[in-house]
Amino acid sequence: MRGWGRIFGSVIVLLFIFFGSISIAQDIKIGVAGPMAFIQGQHHWFGAEYAVEEINARGGVLVGGKRLPIKLIKIDTNEILNVPDAASAVERAITRDKVDFLVGGFRTEAVFAMQDVAMDYKKIFMGCGAAHPELCARVAKDYNKYKYWFRVTPINSMFLAKVDFILLGMVGKIMGMELGIPKPKVAIFAEKAVWADPIVAAAKENIPKMGMEIAGEWRPSATATDVTAELSAINASGAHIIFTTISGPMGIPYAKKWGELKIPAASVGINVEAQKKGFWEATGGLGNYDTTMNTYARVEITSVTIPFYDKFTAKAGEFPTYNAGTNDAIRILVNAIEKAGTLDADKLVPELERTDFYGAAGRIVFTKDHDVTWGPNFVTATGTQWQDGKLMCVWPVNWEGITYKGAVKYKIPPWVVEKWKKK
Amino acid sequence: MPVLFSFRKIRLFLSKEIFILPSRIIAFFFCLGLLVLPLLIKDPYLLRIIILSSIFAIFAASWDLLSGYTGQMNFGHALFFGVAAYTSAILNLRLGLPPWITIPIGALAAVVAGLIIGIPCLRLRGPYLALATLAFPIILMGIVFTIPGITGGELGVSGIKPLARSRILAYYVCVILMMGLGLVMWKIGDSKTGIIFHAIREDEVAVRASGINTTRYKLLAFSLSGFFAGISGGLYTHFIRIAGPSTLEVSLSFQAIIWAIFGGVVTIYGPITGVFLLYPLMEFLRIIPEIRTLLFALIVIVILLFMPEGLTTWIRDRMEEECPRCKVRNVAWRKACRVCFADLGKRSSEGGEHGV
Repeated sequence: MRGWGRIFGSVIVLLFIFFGSISIAQDIKIGVAGPMAFIQGQHHWFGAEYAVEEINARGGVLVGGKRLPIKLIKIDTNEILNVPDAASAVERAITRDKVDFLVGGFRTEAVFAMQDVAMDYKKIFMGCGAAHPELCARVAKDYNKYKYWFRVTPINSMFLAKVDFILLGMVGKIMGMELGIPKPKVAIFAEKAVWADPIVAAAKENIPKMGMEIAGEWRPSATATDVTAELSAINASGAHIIFTTISGPMGIPYAKKWGELKIPAASVGINVEAQKKGFWEATGGLGNYDTTMNTYARVEITSVTIPFYDKFTAKAGEFPTYNAGTNDAIRILVNAIEKAGTLDADKLVPELERTDFYGAAGRIVFTKDHDVTWGPNFVTATGTQWQDGKLMCVWPVNWEGITYKGAVKYKIPPWVVEKWKKK
Repeated sequence: MPVLFSFRKIRLFLSKEIFILPSRIIAFFFCLGLLVLPLLIKDPYLLRIIILSSIFAIFAASWDLLSGYTGQMNFGHALFFGVAAYTSAILNLRLGLPPWITIPIGALAAVVAGLIIGIPCLRLRGPYLALATLAFPIILMGIVFTIPGITGGELGVSGIKPLARSRILAYYVCVILMMGLGLVMWKIGDSKTGIIFHAIREDEVAVRASGINTTRYKLLAFSLSGFFAGISGGLYTHFIRIAGPSTLEVSLSFQAIIWAIFGGVVTIYGPITGVFLLYPLMEFLRIIPEIRTLLFALIVIVILLFMPEGLTTWIRDRMEEECPRCKVRNVAWRKACRVCFADLGKRSSEGGEHGV
């Protein structure tokens, strides 16, 4: 009898597995591709999870009168360390895990390789990490092949640079108005990295055109642990503004020393470390008033931004970065699926092209090259400043008629005011 | 009758040359398995893994030809790979040349790179040579970023034509090239030139004292190694369809060394085995992504701890034995040499190479 019991039990288990696999086959599988051992991949994942939890809680995605749940597949691309690994991971997800759609990507070189694999299989790939214009230029060059690619975040790197200079211009204008400095001197402070080179070149060209003066150029290592010498030189140069371009860990010692030495120059530009939640603790509050470009901020970019920002921060223990754009990407995809009533990529592409979606990053409308539109009333990116332990949105404020609800005025650091007001 | 004759010749070749040593039998069935595989399994992901394994196998074996055979420790082997990858990509993109032309030209460019490094590095030895070679791909990466108009800078060169029209065709191109080039490299190592390479590694002064121009042979090693690594770089770029800075990264150079040492250096087939075990292993470990790299490192360390001369060398030495008189390899359990009939059992009991 015991033998029969075992056989019966095994049959039940097999049936369970069989029907279980059938129910799995009824899922919509979305592959989240990113370097999962790094913060970028983790934000891809948390962003996607946030969207899927909500969509599945309301019953899933309505496809042809039937509600299908979404199942996320984690694709660790390892792309920061290994490019072929990324392409293999995506092909594995497509052929083995049978993903229907892809979201994510980070390192441009790897995204090119992943994009090619996804396009070979005619899989819709919503980019949420690589900013280079070429990724979308491919859509224009060979539409039939690359039409399945759409970029949700970040905005095109050309516009990222534009926002960077808008922030510099805003700080220059405020210093002019409040401190009476007609032609502020700008110190270009950029880490020694390839990505920073075009920004430095553009800064040298644009700063004089913006009615400001260049005080000098400083290029410390991205991993420098002490930048006292550079900051002392900036102090001696008489600069009023430090235009930062920092993505590496040097952003912490920079901000710490800047606050500690009370360098009389406002700090604005890109400091990736200052976008993170741990920045305040890491600098012991000395990073107060540091200003950096960002994608999200805890303001009403749209009605969904603050709930997303809060829930993401609670879940991830970090403020969302542009990689968390997987949240918007999945919602856009779901909208298109529900409107088209199908999972067929070729039928979804025209629907995605018609997207007009209010996401956490702003109003998302795709250009004809499937890039996210930048500008007032579309996705703008943000400027954020640390103000007494809180990361506040300081841009856009009265920019092209746009002010996000909750945004505050940019504050010039008090020691900068003290130094230059006297003169 | 001619068919019967050639069948008999093949049978004779197999019985006299292949089925006499376990290592050759394994190599034979491995190659046969690779050739038959796409007829049985058409999974594109599996084929991709084998294609990439074949490409990196050529790359790792080419490192062995230079660093294993001649002892010229190269820590910047990615230079050859990257030079060929960029050359092939640029030629294909700008001039529209097909892969069968761009890949050999890319390999020739890698030969030139080999000569450019080889000439100044010939005066250096040991760690100094290793450090100097390490610097070259980093220098080239700097050049790549300096001329983004040609190299694409950080993005690399993309939009390249694929290696072949179908995955199966690409598979056969890579696998057959891997087998062919592996055989050529193995033959070089076994030739008169190979013996001089060995001798340079063991005692360069003695080789020079014998009237051999070691400079010429070391340059030859750099060029040959560059050529084979260049072929792999060209294949890679046409398969992945991008040639970017990752083809010059230090990690790629070290990967070649890990594969070669894991498989067993101074063998050619050792690095090939290393790649064919470790590359798919890394893919298999995707099932536990969190500890994938850690587990990979542990496996490599444990294997090398117990098999310090490499996996294939360890296995070969347990299955085969070299005749003390004529140096021909025999199955370990043979009592007399298959060629000169020397007593093999006596040697072991006296404490031969492996008896000590």
